[in-house]
Amino acid sequence: MINVKELLEELKASPYELIDIVAPHTGVVEFAVKEPGLKVTGAHGAYREKPGTLIATLERERNKKPIRATLTGVVECFEAGLAGRFVEAGTKLATIRHYLTSKEVVDLILKKALFLFPAPERAKYYFIPEIDKKMRASGKNAVEVRDGMELLIMSRMKRETSLPYKGPDGKIYAVYFKLGENVDSGHPLIGVCPGDQLPLVQDVVNRVRSEWEEHE
Amino acid sequence: MSAAHKVLVANRGEIAIRIINACRKLGLGFVAVHTREDMHSGHVRHARTHGGDGAVYRVSSYHDANELMAVADASGATAIHPGYGFFAEDFRFARRVVKRDRPLIWIGPSWGVIRELGDKINTKRLARRLGVPTVPGSDRPIYDEMEAEELAQSLFAFQADQGFERHLVLLKASAGGGGMGIEEVERMDTFRSTYRRLRNYAKRQFQDSGVLIEQRIFDFNHLEVQILGNRRGDAHVHFGTRNCTIQSTGRQKRVEVAPGFAPGELTYGFDAGKVLDDIVEYSLRIAKEVGYNSVGTWEWIVTPKGDPFLMEVNTRIQVENGISGAISKINDEGPVDLIKEQVRCALGEELGYSQDDVSFDGLSIEYRIIAEDPSNRFTPWVGRIDRFAWEEQPWLSVLTHVPTDEPYDIPTEFDPNLALAIVKGKDLAEVKARGVAFLDSLVLAGEDRAGQSLKSNVAFLREKTANILEF
Repeated sequence: MINVKELLEELKASPYELIDIVAPHTGVVEFAVKEPGLKVTGAHGAYREKPGTLIATLERERNKKPIRATLTGVVECFEAGLAGRFVEAGTKLATIRHYLTSKEVVDLILKKALFLFPAPERAKYYFIPEIDKKMRASGKNAVEVRDGMELLIMSRMKRETSLPYKGPDGKIYAVYFKLGENVDSGHPLIGVCPGDQLPLVQDVVNRVRSEWEEHE
Repeated sequence: MSAAHKVLVANRGEIAIRIINACRKLGLGFVAVHTREDMHSGHVRHARTHGGDGAVYRVSSYHDANELMAVADASGATAIHPGYGFFAEDFRFARRVVKRDRPLIWIGPSWGVIRELGDKINTKRLARRLGVPTVPGSDRPIYDEMEAEELAQSLFAFQADQGFERHLVLLKASAGGGGMGIEEVERMDTFRSTYRRLRNYAKRQFQDSGVLIEQRIFDFNHLEVQILGNRRGDAHVHFGTRNCTIQSTGRQKRVEVAPGFAPGELTYGFDAGKVLDDIVEYSLRIAKEVGYNSVGTWEWIVTPKGDPFLMEVNTRIQVENGISGAISKINDEGPVDLIKEQVRCALGEELGYSQDDVSFDGLSIEYRIIAEDPSNRFTPWVGRIDRFAWEEQPWLSVLTHVPTDEPYDIPTEFDPNLALAIVKGKDLAEVKARGVAFLDSLVLAGEDRAGQSLKSNVAFLREKTANILEF
């Protein structure tokens, strides 16, 4: 049984994450940020229709790609020396100090409470079409899984193989992979909430809501 | 040819190394790219060794056209060599390369040729028009389930009429290639589910749900013809034939042999020499018709009765080009580096020789050494290579991106191909003996995350060597 109170105290002692903003592709970088300490916001709005704060632009083939803050926080530092230079994909451009939201805290704690079904290999993963359709129509919580059921397609090295679920019966509570992105071996693919864990999950949600202070 | 040219090598692994080597032979500059997963690949080290840090750029993907253009501009590249796979047969990319504000030279067939021959269906129609035999089946992608079923039924009926012992229909993703997206159906009652599965797969992988429906001919041999055309597409030579019949269960080539048959040393139930001559003549007929203007491979199936059918044309340099080069000579000088010839012609040089100047000598085998489990449907093996070594020989050339002096983790983003080994011999007996000697000398060891030993296809390659070119 996890100790929710202890975990919350741990997170309160260090309530932020440092998020690196890296160049998603090659190009000539220009910074919109002029100095560290600037408050930035990630995409927001009811439909996340409002873009995040512009951190930099990356120009290639005469197209300027805006590089925006992905999360709300404060610019910890940025690589001013790269301004006006051609950078390679993956080059670090800036770091944002992001204060955890209550939802993120719930997700972090739930990762310890839920049954995490791990990726057996580094690969791309997809839900089988029937499950995918159901999730799109009714949300992930509508999918009940049971040991041995066909759940995922594992795609790697030009091959697709089906991946049956192994673990306790329950509802899918969290999906940790994104379409078309590789998941490393051992990383969780889904978080499943077995029936007997439901009270604990509810407890986590209630405690975090009442005890976690959101940073502005 | 101007030595001021700089070639962007838009590929990875062993082909990137071969392109870099061709550039060096021609005195050309080059620039290589790599992704995060490939940072320890041998092609990166090779580029850095021979071109310095400025010759290597990290990109987000080999499949991002904008990335490649940006690197070409930043590095001052004047030409792009696509290698095989990725953009090699993408006519839109080839067109963009030559039509942009800062045009680059495309080292491959011109985009119009790729468009015409890159489409299997177009090729089939063109071949039929020129009197070249093609595999019976659909000559356009089928998107409609009812139409697909009708076609499959007609093929099963044809096979029954012909008295074939085993009836089989082949479904191919129209936009697929390299053995991807091919399924077999033995009975009509399983056709619909297989068709739907492949259609969904094709949509996911290739963004096109078109499916070709052909009949599967058993016990065939898979042959190829290697063609080279000059930049204008008005002069063509061939560099002989290859036999690529030894494949994995997933139709991936594993052993290739040049030439395609050995009529002087083995007995066939048909006139093998005539078949080789015929497929070369048919291939050149199409090449001349379309003004083919680079290296390309015409792929054929040959039935046990000795009937050849054109499958497709690969408008690019092929993995196995090395064995054609190994047995070829130009004006009595060999082996021929076909990639070098391709680059040279693309940069505007004349061929400088005719078919009469090309001669052939001996046989060559290419082994694809791959981390996979042949006993389990050639399932890829992923892990760390700890030891990789072989005995150097004058008749052997090993092409690899796997470092031999330090451990190497196989990236899961790509096929677990480790190396290509090209063996040359004066006759069939010698080349087979040398092939086995090489495989016996190979040291290949490693383990995966679970501590399981490396699995490879070396035993499979050794076993298959005994019967190469027999039909």
